[in-house]
Amino acid sequence: MPVSGVLISCAEGAAPDVSRKIADIGGVEVHGVIQDNRIVAVVEGETVDDEVARVTELQHLEGVLSVSLAYHNFEDDEP
Amino acid sequence: MTISRRDFLKASAAAAAFAAAGAPLLNPLASGEAEAAEAGIKWGKAPCRFCGTGCGVLVGVKNNRIVATKGDPSAPVNRGLNCIKGYFLSKILYGRDRLTKPLIRKGDRMVEASWDEAMSLIAGKFRESIDKNGPDSVAIYGSGQWTVFEGYAASKLFKGGIGTNNVEPNARLCMASAVTGFMTTFASDEPMGCYDDLDLGDTYFLWGANMAECHPVLFSRLIDNRLRNPNVKIIDFGTRRTRTSQMADQYVRFNPQTDLALLNGIAHVILRDRLYDETFIKRHVVFKRGKENIGYGLEDKFKFADEPKLINFDEYREFLKTYTPEYVSRLSGVPAKTIVELAHLYADRKRKVNSLWTMGFNQHTRGTWVNNLVYNVHLLTGKICRPGENPMSLTGQPSACGTAREVGTFTHRLPADMVVMNPEHRAKAEKIWGIAPGKIPAKPTYNATEMFRALDRGDIKVVWIQVTNPFQSLPNLNRYRKGARKGDGRFVIVSDIYPTRSTELADVILPSAGWVEKEGVYGNAERRTQQWFKLVDPPGEARNDLWQTMELARRLGHGSLFPYKYVEKEIWEEYRKFNEGQGKDLAPYEAYAKARGLRWPVINGKETLWRYAEGHDPYVKKGEGVSFYKNKADHYRAVIWARPYEPPAESPDRQYPFWLCTGRVLEHWHTGTMTGRVPELKRAYPSAVCEMHPEDARKLGIKHLQKVKISSRRGSIILPVDLNGRGKAEKGNIFVAFFDEGKLINDLCIDAYCPISGEPDYKKCAVKIEKA
Ligand code: SF4
Repeated sequence: MPVSGVLISCAEGAAPDVSRKIADIGGVEVHGVIQDNRIVAVVEGETVDDEVARVTELQHLEGVLSVSLAYHNFEDDEP
Repeated sequence: MTISRRDFLKASAAAAAFAAAGAPLLNPLASGEAEAAEAGIKWGKAPCRFCGTGCGVLVGVKNNRIVATKGDPSAPVNRGLNCIKGYFLSKILYGRDRLTKPLIRKGDRMVEASWDEAMSLIAGKFRESIDKNGPDSVAIYGSGQWTVFEGYAASKLFKGGIGTNNVEPNARLCMASAVTGFMTTFASDEPMGCYDDLDLGDTYFLWGANMAECHPVLFSRLIDNRLRNPNVKIIDFGTRRTRTSQMADQYVRFNPQTDLALLNGIAHVILRDRLYDETFIKRHVVFKRGKENIGYGLEDKFKFADEPKLINFDEYREFLKTYTPEYVSRLSGVPAKTIVELAHLYADRKRKVNSLWTMGFNQHTRGTWVNNLVYNVHLLTGKICRPGENPMSLTGQPSACGTAREVGTFTHRLPADMVVMNPEHRAKAEKIWGIAPGKIPAKPTYNATEMFRALDRGDIKVVWIQVTNPFQSLPNLNRYRKGARKGDGRFVIVSDIYPTRSTELADVILPSAGWVEKEGVYGNAERRTQQWFKLVDPPGEARNDLWQTMELARRLGHGSLFPYKYVEKEIWEEYRKFNEGQGKDLAPYEAYAKARGLRWPVINGKETLWRYAEGHDPYVKKGEGVSFYKNKADHYRAVIWARPYEPPAESPDRQYPFWLCTGRVLEHWHTGTMTGRVPELKRAYPSAVCEMHPEDARKLGIKHLQKVKISSRRGSIILPVDLNGRGKAEKGNIFVAFFDEGKLINDLCIDAYCPISGEPDYKKCAVKIEKA
């Protein structure tokens, strides 16, 4: 199962709210909120495709400015 | 409870994100734990395979396979973060339909062949065509995805060996106007500034550039700057509301093509209200005016030569007289008051002002002019060559700068800004290449569009396409797709890693090595040259394009052009000779193996952040302040150009009442051959849609997601309408992305181009819309 670490940039002050909403998206865990405008989260999926679908969902949340990818491990993702 | 390897992996993932966010103290891992979880992974560095931003990536390899990637924390471009296209890096090499064997056309079928068979067939076709029709009947077409070595070898073989200037890159469709803009204004290609300006400035004018989607990492730097500094202002000039407009402080809608008028209007106000920097102008600027009513390149074999004349400041002022805010407002739809305000903002002495642009300016039938005009504003106000304030032309392809522009893989260019028309330049190239004087032809042949027109006419018979997809990306595509298969001796070779809309028209398909399956060098938009080593083997029989080109050379009897043992390093050291002492100096190969890229000119191991600026660029002498030292002809000054507004090649009329603009979206890159392989991604932006203004849709009785037929004078296409997408079309405009290989929107685009740069305009043509 692939794992990725993402940094979610949010509109000023929106991070706590966004982080609550993220709890509803399966496969995404919030690991920390930095200064009300950034969130560190870990995304998991059965496949890379699942991960990307989740990140796309994140990107469409109200208050999210952008999602960046810091780390991606897909050792176990079969071709 | 023991913590599982998976928990460590998750902790590693979070730790990397914390570190990139500048909050490493929140790192939950004890030292050594991440290493344990990643046991057996070997990491190597590489620039990202996708866009011209040139982010650094750490690539994790295990058992000859890429198993992990990280935003490279040591890379100054992206500081540990990639955009979401970074997810595709896991996939680009491992799609199920990867090409692994050479294929030769037998009627309608492509049949597997050995390399020897394929290469002898290709060499035979080249030889036959050259013997029968001369060297100008064969061509190579590459792109800004070529590594420096691949582009260099192609140029050396074709210009220096075969003796034809039939060398063109996809960059002609993408960056050519930026090149001619730089060359005509500064006599040297590529920006004076660098990405540091995104952190150091406070005022950013974006001209038709949807940075949030197309250059997300750079846009994040802008947004971070604004978070640190509430004074930062982002102004988005656009013909379409995008994610970028949403995040900008001000969105200024303008009518297509009127960017020319707007920039002249801004210059008008700067002169009228005496906002210019008189000292800077006196010391560093000359004024020129060229030919006008210059045409659109719509006819085959179109030719144009500008005739620049020096004018003085007063004549320039006189030229600008017509561009009053009121006149420009009528043309552009921007309120006169806004034009005045923005001119004052551009000229505000307390502000550090930057302009950023990409395809909106470049893919323009007056692309060179509009590049000139944005430089005018910076030159008038002296806001140039200073940390934090510069005009900055962004790029789309990962090595559009490093390869296409710097190596000069255009019909008229040679490395280091030299051109084939100049006898001294040819002589220098011939000397470095060790070939007979007079070997390089003095005349440029075809720009990209003309090259495929020549194939259609039959003037070019054999064309080799490497690392790009012209039979999806050319404008007025229909004509060129048909032309490729007209027979009568035409022979098309396509090297790629996947089947594309171009391989389907090929007579021979060659399987290539991609990205870290080979050693390479790319150069990004801020003059940063980045090297990587081969990290994994290519699959099956796939081989490096560099090897393919050298193999053709060998079979054509030009093997002596490539006498190398460590090919990449030796090509680099040879290539470097072109750049030495030209203000484009590059470091020895080893330096790039160590560094996370270096921005040229690199002198004594030191990179240059701001060109032409004393204290930053070693070419500028003490006391000069600023010197445009490449423009010897104009006494080391930059040129302010009097360039008028002229209408586009085609505008909406009663029969075709809408503007069509094409472009990119966040999840896909170029023609989608690498990003289109991620099924979920395709679902996120499944296939192309037609963005339309709700009011226009209402008038035509069209509902959200209803299918419509869009037609231009050249072709038509059926697409669902999107009234609710993340991009919002303005009234009278529609927007369609061009990544979708199932929907060739470029069939509709007009193949009109800028007469100076030869770059087509994909942003403006007239279409009609009917219910399908
Ligand atoms: S911004 Fe461009 S270079 Fe950077 S990660 Fe995204 S696609 Fe790659």
